[in-house]
This record gives sequence, C-alpha cells and structure tokens, in this order.
Amino acid sequence: MKKSKFTYILIFMSPFVLIFLTLFNGRYPIPLKDIPRILAYPFSRSTLINDTYSTIIWNIRMPRAMLSALAGASLAVSGAAFQGLFHNPLVNSGMLGVSSGSGFGAALAILLFARSSPFVYIFALIFGGIAVFLSYTIGRIYNTTPTIMLVLGGTVVSSIFSALISLVKYMADPLNELPAITFWLMGSFASANAQDILIGAPPMILGIAGLILMRWRINVLSMGDREAHTLGISSSLNKLAAIIFATLSTAGAVCVSGNIGWVGLIIPHVGRMIVGNDNNSLIPVSCALGASFLIIIDNISRTLTGGEIPIGILTSLVGGPFFIYLLKKTKGGSW
Amino acid sequence: MDKCTVQVNNASFCYGSKKVFNNISFKIKKGEVFCVLGPNGCGKTTLLDCVLGILKLSEGNVLIGDTDLRDLRENKLAEKMAYVPQTHERSFPYKVKEIVLMGRAHKTSIFTSPSEEDKKIAMDALEKVGISELADVPYTQISGGQCQLVMIARALAQQPEIIVMDEPTSHLDFKNELVVLETVADLVKKHNISILMATHFPNHAYYFETNHVPTTLVLMNNGIFEETGRPYGVLNEQNILNTYNINSKVLNFRLDESTSIRQVVPISLIKEKNQGGRK
Repeated sequence: MKKSKFTYILIFMSPFVLIFLTLFNGRYPIPLKDIPRILAYPFSRSTLINDTYSTIIWNIRMPRAMLSALAGASLAVSGAAFQGLFHNPLVNSGMLGVSSGSGFGAALAILLFARSSPFVYIFALIFGGIAVFLSYTIGRIYNTTPTIMLVLGGTVVSSIFSALISLVKYMADPLNELPAITFWLMGSFASANAQDILIGAPPMILGIAGLILMRWRINVLSMGDREAHTLGISSSLNKLAAIIFATLSTAGAVCVSGNIGWVGLIIPHVGRMIVGNDNNSLIPVSCALGASFLIIIDNISRTLTGGEIPIGILTSLVGGPFFIYLLKKTKGGSW
Repeated sequence: MDKCTVQVNNASFCYGSKKVFNNISFKIKKGEVFCVLGPNGCGKTTLLDCVLGILKLSEGNVLIGDTDLRDLRENKLAEKMAYVPQTHERSFPYKVKEIVLMGRAHKTSIFTSPSEEDKKIAMDALEKVGISELADVPYTQISGGQCQLVMIARALAQQPEIIVMDEPTSHLDFKNELVVLETVADLVKKHNISILMATHFPNHAYYFETNHVPTTLVLMNNGIFEETGRPYGVLNEQNILNTYNINSKVLNFRLDESTSIRQVVPISLIKEKNQGGRK
C-alpha cells in the first residue's frame, strides 16, 4: 500500500512545527503578542522588546529544541542503519559500543576535570569512536567483517566499557562527582546551550547526511555479505562507511545529551509500520520521527514536574508503552 | 565460433592445508547450462564461490569474458555475472519489487539510489520470470518456490551474461522444482544467458538436455572433475557407481512420437567390501 504524499508531508513537517511550539512551552510564560518580535529579535536588533523573553527563547529553549531534535534524528537514523547493516531488527545505535564508550569518556572527564569542562564532550566523542574502532577491529578477519563477528565484538567492547564506567563511578567522590556522572549517564538536555550545538551538531549532521545519502545501499547490505558482493557492491567498504556515519551521529548525540536509550530501537520500527522496510523511505522518515519524538519527550521531561526528569528515563517510560500500543494496533504489521 | 563467458584455468583451492579441489579447468559457452553434480562436500559450492569472487583461488585463474576475475571490481563483475543463492535468509519484509530492484545495485554509486530506468528493468525482470503480480507483496509472505523465482528475477535485473546458481531447487516442493527448472530453461533459450549450476539431482541435467537446452555436465568428486560431457553420455550407471558408490538404473520413457525422457533411479547401496573404499 502506497502511503499518500500527505503522510510524508506530515511526518517531515512535524519536527519543525514541534520546535516552534516548544519555544513557547515552559515555566516562564511568554505573552503571545510578543512572539513575532521575539522571533525577529536576532535579525532586527530592536531594543523595544523585553530582553528576558528573547534570552529564554533564543539562548535556552531554542538550543535545547534544536539539540533534542538533532539527537533524536541521529539516534533513530543510526539505529535504522544498524538494523539494516546487521540484518537484525533488534539492534540499536549502540550496537558497536558507541554509547558505553562515550559514557566512559564523559565519566572519566567528569572525574578528571569537572562536569562543566569541555573535555566532557571531547572525551565522550573520542571514546565513543575508540569503542567502535575496537569492535570493528575485533570483528575484522581476513579483510572481511562478518556480521556475527561485529556483533560479538560490539558486545564485548560494550561490556568492557560498562565495567570501566562502574570503575570510574566507584572511584568518584560520592558527594559531587558521582551524582554528576550518574545524571550525565541518565541523559538530559537541561544544560543545552550554544556551545553544545557548536560541538555536537557537526558530527550529528555529517552522520545523518551520510546515512541519508547512502540509504539505498543499506538495503543491499541487509542482504548479507555474499549477496551484496554478487550484487556488485563492496560490502566491507560500504559497511565501514555506514559504521563511520552512524558512529559520528550517535557519538555526537551522546556527547551532548548523555545516554538516551530506546530511540534507536523503536523509532525505526515505528517508521517500518508507517512506510515499510525500504530504507530509501525508512531512513528519512526515521530521521523526522526521531527528531519529533525526542522534542516531545524533552518537553515532557522539563515541564511535567518542578524539577527535571532525566530524559533517558522518560524515553523508556513513555516509549515502551507507546511501542507496545503500536505493536498491538498493527498486530505486528507485516512481521 | 562459440563465445566463452567463463573460463577457469588450472584452478586449485585450499582451506589451510586441506585441498578442496585441484587443477580444475573448464569453459562455459554462451547460452548453455553447465551443471556441476557431485556428492556432499565434494567442493561444488567452494568452486562456485571462487568463480563468484567470494573466495580467492589458491592457484590458477578465472576469466570472465576476456578479463581476469581479480581485475574486476564488484560492480563490473556484477554486470557480467549474477548469483542465485541456495537459501536466502529473509530478515526484513521488503516488497518483492524492492528485492528485485537490488539487482541494479551495480549501476548505483554509494550515495545514489536506482533511477526510474532501473525500476523499469526490475519490473521487466519480474515479468520475464512471470511473477509480476507479486511485485507489492512482502517477500516474507511468499512461498519458498516463489522466493527462489524472486532471486532469479533479481539476478535477471542485473542483466548478466551468466547466472550462477547453487542448488536452486534444494528446498522446493515437487512442483516448484519444476517451475524453477522451466524458468531456467526458458532464460537460456530466449535470452541466451549462460547458467553455472551446482545440483544434487542428476535428473536436472537430463531435463535440460531433453528440453533441447545446450547442456554440459561434470561429475565432481575427490576435488576433480571425474567426467565431463553431455548428460546423456556422462550419466550412465557406471559413472554414477564411480562417483556416488551406489547401484542405479537409467530409465528411458517415450512420452510421444518426438520426445522421450530419461531418468536415473537409485537402486541400492554398495555393501562395503574389506578393501574399504570411500564411504
């Protein structure tokens, strides 16, 4: 069944609409009549409007909305790509250890420097990359990368880095560092600012763009190495490219937001239920759905209670039942 | 003169120190079926993998057209040669037409998707195999036989000169086996494609020859081609005895005035004698 153009327009417009709406959602009420002027603020340099409004919109809510959209898109797209790559619908974007690697990097940086140090991002990015590189190296034999070896490599590397995270936590000062590490690992956009965008956005955008561009190749890669080879593509080269893009986007997302599970697993499946399994449409749709999903969850996380609920907790709490609802409603779709 | 599509010269392959096959040479002509028949573990699949470039020969070389296989990149190779796997693991419920379209992968670059032209070629391939009506069905919901036809359609969409098939009927029921054989015979006769096929069924080779498809049969055993020739010549009771160590009977049956068919029927195992030949 062909989905109508309308469905696609709705899906692709939703992140933009949601980003816009989220600017006006929060504890500090913004009068409706000021909206046009606030939106024009960075372009007009007008002195007439209340500066607090503009600061809230442009320095707090906007970066936060942009980051959650980008992170959601990154996790969903790389999750969809990995599911195709490993021809397994149960893997997510952390399959090759990027999440636990980044988590360890951030925890280490918090231990060595401070929560606010830029080294937290840098360590998270670097160790995410190192984890994937290790998994890939373990999985590589005779110049090929059999799926099962990659999966095993990823599992081993993930568990090593999880153990290292525990080690860092064990060594951390329980009054300041330990809570900082724990909250970081739960994931949050609470501290989102322009610096986060500067560091996190380039790898995320690069990774998302790369995967969107090579989306059809992921169909072919999902046929397995033998068939991909005989269909005329180099499976090791293409796999490597997809892994690099997925790692860039996931590590970018994790370094600004901490560990946000679940998005990389369920959003691609929600996409499959709507547009089917052809990665040609699935990957762009996952991108838009992931962005929308995380914007909504982040809004819930910052407005539901007086404090902030870490977003990593909410994605599972909200995402889990929502996914079950979808599964029941579509009766498993075409699975 | 007959043009060769695939030429294998003095090919050997070893897994570590274990020789799988040794010094094999053969040519596949345009528009013929080349059947490789032999017991389990005789190296048929390894040989096919070497021709496909999945495995590298230890010695010897493979020529595709006039070019050495080692000099062909994946996309150039896929223009000439396609593959129908023995079993295809269906992991995602892609639509049939999406699967067949993957036959056009060699025409795309890493960052591009197939063109409208490619989609048309894919639909034509479905048409040729006679399963156009399945185009929009998830291929996890079709039968094993239909899936094998989808694989053949995907191979056709590559517009190759040769299709390599590894036991294409091994999981199929009585009718679907015939459907695949008939499709293959059709492809060779109508589109002048060459087929390299590993099979366990001697009667498949007879089937092709009975249906006037140019057929070469080799009996592969102990890592070499023990016999090569036309099925009617090679498949006799003595050669079956040599290769499989069983007693068999070759039966002829006259269907009508113009056609007779031939089948080989296994009769009994050879009781092991003391000198203990291969099992």
